[in-house]
Amino acid sequence: MPQKFYHDDPEWADIEPIAQDDGPHPLAAIAYTDEYSEAMGYLRAAMAKNEFSERVLGLTEHIIGLNAAHYTVWLYRAKTLETLNADLKQEIAWLNPTALSHLKNYQIWHHRQTIIEKLGSPEGESDFISTMLEQDTKNYHVWSYRQWLVQRFGLYTEEELNWTESMIEEDVRNNSAWNHRWFLVFGVPRDGREVDEYTVQREIAYVQEAIRKAPQNQSPWNYLRGIFKQTKRSTEDLKTFALEFANVNKPDDIFSSHALDVLADIYAEEQKKDEAKKALDLLATKFDPIRANYWNYRKVLLDQPEVAA
Amino acid sequence: MAVGPSVAGDDSTLNYSKHINYWRRCAKTYLPTQYTGNDCNRMMLAFFVLSALDLLGDLPTALSAEERQGFVEWVYRCQLPEGCFRPAPATNLGSQGNEENRIWDPVHLPGTFFALQILILLGDDLSRVKRREILQSLLKLQRPDGGFGQSVGEKDRVEGGNDTRFGYMGAAVRWILRGTVEGPVDGVPDIDVDKFVKCVQISETYDGGISEEPFHEAHAGFTCCAIGALYFVDRLPLKASQPPDDRIRGLTNLPMTLHWLVSRLTLTLDEEDAVDTLGDETDSAATCHDSHSFVKLGSYPSEGGKLSFLEQPTSHFELDWVGVNGRCNKIADTCYAFWGCAPLKMLDHLELIDTRPIRRWLLDKTQHVVGGFSKLPGDPPDIYHSYLGLAILSIFGEPGLKDVDAALCMSNRAKEHLESLPWRQAIVGEKGS
Repeated sequence: MPQKFYHDDPEWADIEPIAQDDGPHPLAAIAYTDEYSEAMGYLRAAMAKNEFSERVLGLTEHIIGLNAAHYTVWLYRAKTLETLNADLKQEIAWLNPTALSHLKNYQIWHHRQTIIEKLGSPEGESDFISTMLEQDTKNYHVWSYRQWLVQRFGLYTEEELNWTESMIEEDVRNNSAWNHRWFLVFGVPRDGREVDEYTVQREIAYVQEAIRKAPQNQSPWNYLRGIFKQTKRSTEDLKTFALEFANVNKPDDIFSSHALDVLADIYAEEQKKDEAKKALDLLATKFDPIRANYWNYRKVLLDQPEVAA
Repeated sequence: MAVGPSVAGDDSTLNYSKHINYWRRCAKTYLPTQYTGNDCNRMMLAFFVLSALDLLGDLPTALSAEERQGFVEWVYRCQLPEGCFRPAPATNLGSQGNEENRIWDPVHLPGTFFALQILILLGDDLSRVKRREILQSLLKLQRPDGGFGQSVGEKDRVEGGNDTRFGYMGAAVRWILRGTVEGPVDGVPDIDVDKFVKCVQISETYDGGISEEPFHEAHAGFTCCAIGALYFVDRLPLKASQPPDDRIRGLTNLPMTLHWLVSRLTLTLDEEDAVDTLGDETDSAATCHDSHSFVKLGSYPSEGGKLSFLEQPTSHFELDWVGVNGRCNKIADTCYAFWGCAPLKMLDHLELIDTRPIRRWLLDKTQHVVGGFSKLPGDPPDIYHSYLGLAILSIFGEPGLKDVDAALCMSNRAKEHLESLPWRQAIVGEKGS
């Protein structure tokens, strides 16, 4: 992009920029470009006057391009858009490529939320999110924003669930997608009612199928254990399922360390300390040795039932 | 300069002289233009730079007394008339600042937190800090749901996200200025601690971690901040040795949180390990993150899966290096060594992990030849990862580094200086340290 300066721009001739005052011993001083230094001087001057104008939209866009994490420039831009009664659809059209060139930026999503809230419609957002996720399927800001959209517009729909499923199909280890699924199923406002049994059964079947495809994948195991805890159901079925992947008496046929972990917990609950110890020993010595200290700690807890509970 | 002491029986070493060079350069010369995106976080960068020199024991040597006092003055220049600190001079409107335009140069929680940290570690007595005004601002920064925001905007609207980073900094600022004493201090009411703790509780996730908001994905950064915040307000779960009380406490399921934290240890250390997951739902060593080299393959592995499995070592020699990730099924990253392990220290459970292979990973893979640490092996070093890498090594007991308080993320020496200040002792008294 060509550099943009203001001192020789007749449109800004009436503005006296405010230079940055860093004093004689600045800390963490940055080698600014002349372009950025000057633009910031004009920004401070415009802010000082509380100017809300078309040219301020241009100036804030310029600053955002150079420093998207400037926290008040976004607020200033939002206030300017509001004062000018600007076309917010146009703002979204500008934000789309801007977000793509600042994937890790956080302020941009807050701004987008402000604009979409005012527009009152999620139209087009789903497509934009897909474009963002193509860059990074686990982008935290994007998933957080998607949750906001669902909450704000009540999109706890079949379509949303199907989309999430397609994300999991694409990468069964995408924990963000699994978390989104949990949010859709267990986060839907229910006025204190429990999730119905049909839905719970559907979820258990779904997650079990995913585990059978890739047993050494912690995301669905966490999801499955979460369901059992959330719905306070007997762990008998969970145990049966975990036994498909690990049997403490057949250490040469272990398909998942997470199954051993589940079994260790269930055996501890059942007061089958020897079985639990076998599972934890297998984890510590063979199947998950990077966490050996932790598995050994769990073994010690077995002999302190009041703490282990 | 001599290379620092190494750990017996371990060849991996922290290259002290290179780190000192790196941090002195950050303190004494302009940071490269690429830091422009952090122009509004200069207080944070400054804290990392000075605190790193402190941890390396180089603060008094690297900086003259005059320079240190000059930096103290720079921080005070960032103090706002209404109390609190701006996070950088970038928003200072100078003589043109007034009531009407202060929303563009507002009360800012991270600016205030990092400014106080810098003053403490430079040995200032905080006597020029507008303490009452800051405590009053904390009341404004706390939202009705108990959480904290980043800054105070138009009509006292709390701006910025609602995540545990701001809760951490709010709790830390309160602890710095008034210890763990509850109730009004100097006529300024306390924040609503119970509500804050409840706000942290509802951000616990189904897998035992903590996220930025209810139902968002568990994340080591948010988890560390939440646990630090609970530590500062003295609402972590009671230890067996502590007498029970009826106060609301955070971490409703400590065993699950410990499980989540230790699960952050990973063998996925390179980007190449991670991208292979995409589109390959078969378990193999290449799609693996942790134990895949050791478990048996599932029933119908793809050809590619079988091949990559065969190529992988199945012995334990690869455990020489263990990394730490920030979320389930993500790649290791230097900063998550801090975010994932510091909470274990705060919870008195650092013994649940073997810190030696994590130390080796940091020193062998992300320590940079010019000093500092990078995010991933092969990347250039940056201030953020370089500081957090150093801080966690100190928590792991690296010889020659000053020991770090995990919650404050600065040296115990600096913390003790704060605790020795008479005005604070008068507030904190016997009980609220």
